[in-house]
This record gives sequence, C-alpha cells and structure tokens, in this order.
Amino acid sequence: MATDTQATAPAHVDERAVVRHLKAGIVYAAIGVLLAAGALAFLGGDRETVFTLDRTLTDASWTLPTLPTVIAMAAVVAACGAWMLLGLRRGLFKLASAIAVAAIVFALISWSVSEPGMVFRAESILAGAVFLSLPFIFGALSGVVCERSGVINIGIEGQFLMGAFTGVLVANITGNVYAGMLGAMLAGALTTMLLAMLSTKYQVNQVVVGVILNLLALGFTSFMYDQLKKTEGYNSAYGVPSNALDGIGLGFLADIPLVGPVLFAQNIFVYVGLVAVFVVWFLLFRTRWGLRTRSVGEHPAAADSMGVAVNRLRFWNVTAAGLVSGFGGAFFTLANSLAFTKNMTAGLGFVALAVMIVGRWNPLGVLAGALIFGFASQMAEYLDVAGNSIVPGPFLQMLPYVVTLVVVAGLIGRAKAPAADGVPYNPGDK
Amino acid sequence: MTTETATPTPEPPEAGERPDKRPPFMVLFGRYLTEANSVMVTVYSLLLAFLIGAILLIVSDETVRGTWSYFFSRPTDALEASWQVVSNSYRALFEGAILNFNTIDRMAAGTAEIGDLLRPISQTLTYATPLIFTGLAVGLAFRAGLFNIGAQGQMIFGMIGALIVGFSLNLPAILHLPLAVLAGAVAGAAFGAVPGVLKATTGAHEVISSIMLNNIAGLFLVWAIGTSFMHSETRSELVTKPVEDSASLPLLLGFVDDGLRVNLALLIGVAAAVFVWWLLSKSTFGYRIRAVGFNEHASSTAGMNIGRTYVTTMSVAGGLAGLAGAALTLGVGSGGITTNTALEYGFDGITVALLGRANPGGIIAAALLFGALKAGALDAQPDVPVDMSTLLQATIVLFIAAPALVKAILRLRAPRGGLVTLEAKGW
Repeated sequence: MATDTQATAPAHVDERAVVRHLKAGIVYAAIGVLLAAGALAFLGGDRETVFTLDRTLTDASWTLPTLPTVIAMAAVVAACGAWMLLGLRRGLFKLASAIAVAAIVFALISWSVSEPGMVFRAESILAGAVFLSLPFIFGALSGVVCERSGVINIGIEGQFLMGAFTGVLVANITGNVYAGMLGAMLAGALTTMLLAMLSTKYQVNQVVVGVILNLLALGFTSFMYDQLKKTEGYNSAYGVPSNALDGIGLGFLADIPLVGPVLFAQNIFVYVGLVAVFVVWFLLFRTRWGLRTRSVGEHPAAADSMGVAVNRLRFWNVTAAGLVSGFGGAFFTLANSLAFTKNMTAGLGFVALAVMIVGRWNPLGVLAGALIFGFASQMAEYLDVAGNSIVPGPFLQMLPYVVTLVVVAGLIGRAKAPAADGVPYNPGDK
Repeated sequence: MTTETATPTPEPPEAGERPDKRPPFMVLFGRYLTEANSVMVTVYSLLLAFLIGAILLIVSDETVRGTWSYFFSRPTDALEASWQVVSNSYRALFEGAILNFNTIDRMAAGTAEIGDLLRPISQTLTYATPLIFTGLAVGLAFRAGLFNIGAQGQMIFGMIGALIVGFSLNLPAILHLPLAVLAGAVAGAAFGAVPGVLKATTGAHEVISSIMLNNIAGLFLVWAIGTSFMHSETRSELVTKPVEDSASLPLLLGFVDDGLRVNLALLIGVAAAVFVWWLLSKSTFGYRIRAVGFNEHASSTAGMNIGRTYVTTMSVAGGLAGLAGAALTLGVGSGGITTNTALEYGFDGITVALLGRANPGGIIAAALLFGALKAGALDAQPDVPVDMSTLLQATIVLFIAAPALVKAILRLRAPRGGLVTLEAKGW
C-alpha cells in the first residue's frame, strides 16, 4: 500500500533533508539548553554517579560528579544542534544525530542513577539488556521472514502467548525443558500455519486476521489456563539452566570483564537468539531460498513467471516463522522460570513489530533495534525496582511503548517495506 | 473497511409471476441455506464457534478426559460425560445471560420476585452497553479503511475525563450528567485523534500506534488512580473517588428492583448507533469516510483531504469509545473506578464491529450477543472458565473474517457477487 508514496519519495529527498536539519537542529539545541537548565535547577552539586563492574572485577568503580557530567553532555547536544543549524555535509548528519542521542542518553542515565545509594552496575544492566531484547529478536525475526515473503504477521503477540503457554505445559508434562522449547516452537508454527493458510489459500485480509488470531490466542490460552489450574502440575514454573556455557568448559570466557557476563554467562535463549539472527540473515541474503523468498515478497508475479510457487513458498515460510516466534514465546515462561499467566506478553509482540521496522526488515538491523529496546526496558525496570523518585513507576513502564510509538512515527515513512507486503497473490489475477 | 461486495439474496418466491418456472419455496430455501451469503456465513460461524468451544470444553476437562481413556471398553461413559460438561456449560451461559429456569420455579414457590427473573437480561444489557460504543468506535473507523484497535485506550481516557468532571463539579443533575458524559467523549476523542494524526503526518500504521497507546493509557490509569487528586479519600486500595449522584446515570429498571444495573447509557448507545448510521449514510462527512475507505487514491484525486479525514474519523471514533468509558464510570454507582473497571470492552469492540460488519444495526446485535456471552461467562464461574466468552468471540469473528474458510469447511456454494470480506490496509 505504501509503494506509491515511496515511488515519489526520491524526488523530495534533497528538499526535505535541508528542512530536517533545521528542525532537528532546533530540537537538539533546545534539548541541550533544557537539560543544562534542568540540571542547574534540580541537581544538587554533591550528587555523584558511580559505575561499577559488579560481576567480574567487583572492586573496580568509577565515580563521576553528576552535575558537571550532565552539563557537559548538554553542551555536546547543544553543539550538535548548533552544528546542524549552521549546516553540515549531509553524510555527517547521521553522525551528529548519533552523538547527540548518545549524549542525551548518557546524561539521563547519569542523572537518574545519581540518587544516593544507587550504583550503575554495568555488567548486570548490560547482561539484562541483552536478555530482555530476546522477545524482540525472536518476534521481529519471525516478522522479517513473513514480511519478506509478502505476508504481514501482526499476530506475533498471539504466537508468543501460544509459545509461552505450550512451552511450560509440555515441559511440565514431559519433565524436560528442551521438550518444552520444542513444544513452544510447534505451537507457534501451528498458529502461523493458520495465518499462512488463510492468507495464501483463502486470500483474506492479513491485518484483520492477524488481530483476530491474537484475540484467539489470548482467549485460548486464558481459557486453558483456567481449566488446567484445577489440576496440579501442568503450569508450574519450569526454568532453563541459568548459564548454558557452564557445562561445556567455556567458563573462563565469562571472567572477561564486561564482555564475559554480557555474552558468555547467559542462559541458552540468548545464544539461540544471537545465532538465529545470523542464520536468518545468511538464509535470506546468501541462499537460493532467500532470493526466492525476497522475490516473492517484492514481486510475486515475476517470481511466479520464473517458476517459483508463490503461495506454497509463502505458506511454508510463514509456518516456519512461527517456529521462531513460538520459541520467543517460551522466553516469557521457560527462560524466566515463570509459570504461565493470562496475557503475560503484555503487548511485547507489537513492540517486536516496531523493532522489525526499525531494523528495516533485516535481521542485523533487528538485532541492533532489539538491543536498544532491551536496554530501554532494562533501564526502566532497574530504575523502577531501585525506587527512583523522579519518575513514577507507571511512566517508566511506558518507556518501551513510547519508544515504539516514536520510532514507528519517525521511521515508517522512510523505512521501506517489501513491495508486495500484505498483498495476497492470486495467480489468476495477473 | 467493509467492502460490501453486494450479495444479492435469492429473491423470495412471489405468487402470480410464472409460477411454473420458479422452483418451489423449499428448494430455494435449501439453496439459500447452502450458499455462502453473509447471513448464512454469520449463522454458520456461530455454530462452528460453539462447536469448537464444545470440543475445547471436552478436551480440557480432567474428568472427561479420564473417561475417554477407556473409550473402547465403555464408550457410553465418555459420551455421557462429554455431553454433561458441554450441556452444563452452555446451559450455565444461557441461564446467566437470558433466563434462569430455577428462578421460575422459585417464583412459583414465592421465594423469588420479578426482579430476579429480569436480572440475567439486565446483566446482558449492562455488559452490552459499552460494547455498543466501542463496536461503533471500531466500526466507524473501519468504514474509512482504518483499523482502530485503540478503542481500549480511548475508552480509558473517556473514563478518566468523565470521572474528573463527575466528582469535582457540584451542579444540578440536569447539567452535571450531560457535562460528565461530554467530558468522556471529548477525552476519548482527543486520545483517539493521536493515531489519526500520526498516520496522516508520518504514515505510522494505526494498528501499532493505537496498540502502544492502549498500553500507555492502561499504565496512565494505574498512575492516575494513585494520585491524591483522584484517589479515594476513604479507602486504601487502588480506587478513585466516586462520582457525585448528580452525575450518575439513572437506572432504567430501578423501579422494579434496585439490583438491576442496566442504565440510561443503553439508550445513549442506541442513539449513538442511530447517529453513526445517519453520519455514514446521510452526511457529507460520512460520504467522505466511505469514499476514503473505498479508494483513498480516487478520493484524493477527487479533492478530498485524506489526512484530515483520517484525523476526524479517528476523533469521532475515539469520542464514541470515550462514551463507553463515561458509561462505565458514571454507571458504577457509589464506588469509584479501579484498574479493572475497563475489563476488555475496547478489544471486544473489535470483535463486535467485525461481527456487525461495521453496520450500526449489526453492531447493536453483535454487542447484545457478546454482552450475553460475557454476562453468562461471568455468572457461570467457576464452572465455566471466564475466558470462554473471549474464546467464542474470537472464533466467531475468525470465521466471519474468513468466509472462504466457512465455505470450504461446509462445502457451501459461492453466492452471486462473491463473498463479503473485511479489509484493512497494510503498511
């Protein structure tokens, strides 16, 4: 649907780029000034921000005086804004934006962690950020595979719920957590198979059916939850080993400062997630299957004339994508060692869709986007638990949703979806 | 939007006009029954959904599953137990929603009054009331090609708006009540306009932005209830101040029994449906909505402002959802609102609009059906899981949205003019 606007977009690029610089410059300059003014007004001079490596080198800590740090960062932001206002080469715009955003984030973190008694535990927080990015990684990868083949998968939320529920159920029945993961994947695949069938064979509207499938998954899992809670032993918390690398003698990697706890002392979901990103990227961009999938999503008629069975490929791709999002659902129960509760995914399936857009339908972009969202969630959780007094808890919990809103509003016009995304293909219509 | 791909129904047999060439009535009727026209698709969707619900009830029940394990030695046990659990559950739903046969017996014995007999119906109407509003909110947006799944958030802001006016002002009822209702509509409209503005200016898809706004609204409500401005002065749990009596919606059946909760909001809902019908079919604005929904490019070429249509449609839709919030807040009586007051009326609005095929009349009928399901499921606890209603609703509308599936399952014939399907746009 968005193809028409995108076709005309290149003609406007030059003109719009200049306008954006002015707008962005004013915004950044204003943020810089506000930040400095706010810091001078509300931040006591005795505040300090402490950074520690809390898992490996427990003695190490760095202390920054908060007020000068925030003001310095505000100056950086304002300088970037001024630079944009005065004009800069177009290639440097992204760099300036990145510096400004990083400075804002650093300033806000320094400020919020400077409460007396609070410490920025770098390793725990970063490890937590990677962990919390997992649902976004799995959900968005599933979305990427579906949408690259031309089917909008708005039902990621529902696949999460089915995966979360089935994962813990199968793990309880079999007594084996890996069987639970397998069960979650199959449940996800069965859910997307319904979407695949409806969108290829019956050519129904994918957005409408996706939303209905979410409701159906919500109703089904909540219903089964109520039915099964009458008997013991179907929905008890069932966890995975906390560090999958412990057993295979790579423990020394976990002792590397910063990198170790973040990458090498995580549970198995993290490794599967990181590997999955590269596998999906390789499959999509380096194999024959990937080429066919992308062609089916961009121009199904052309693919058809080259002998690709469009609807069959779409059907199996969407079904296979369910394996990934179903596994992502198991994150909510198995990876966190939690029992299933009603609607426990709390809209994160939709955040995953936003991550997919941020990642521009590319697995590597998805990884970057997911890490940003994971970090935002982790910071919100950290500040919430630590009893931060500046921002009330509910507002911190809004953070991932607000970021999604901003990202989708700011990016979607410019991020380019596969051309045939969401358009049913009927060979007879050519 | 609903592309009402016109499905001409077979003409009823009329006497007089070449009767010899016309097949007899029963044949025509039989043909009508086996055709995938919109009426029969709706009927079959309901039947299939209740069938699936029955299967799930059987599969998920521990004792029934036990009897199936020795099905081959004593099949009657399994069949009997299955029949028991299904008929008991559906009977409980019916008794909670429409008519309880026990009450009739008790009335005959003189231990129950007419109010007790009317209670299930009153509950159904009470639960249907917000669904009428949220169903209209989703349905109206559908007609403009917008998929408004943000009715939940818009409704929550409507609740907050109505509540603030409801407890903070001191006015005679004749002014206070309309003002409080209006405040709910305005708050909902303002919140509803946001996805419209985002779509018009940035192209952000309304499904994602309105889902995010739902989450934001839910968390905002949690925060707002806890603030000293809104929190109840007498109670410690998370509940707000109650609205003044002058802003409370009067009960419709209060003269029969105080416990019958159906209130004036039901009539406001019917009025809103009539208004939406008028808006869509008689006004220029409605014409623009339908034109944009039917073909935005053609409408744009014809000189319509697509972006502005999105924004205004979403605000009107938000206002309707806000009315649902007002109906909830001003209808709870002496208690304030909690985080649970909203239930899932906003999300249910999606299923109501889909089942009602985005037509005001259909939406009222669908709201009554789903209100009955909700009333029944809540009343039948714990025998029937409370989410039975969500499950049935989702299954029903899955079939409604995919008529080709119903046609294939039941091997129905294709109607003239094709299947009626529902459309919403992709990215």
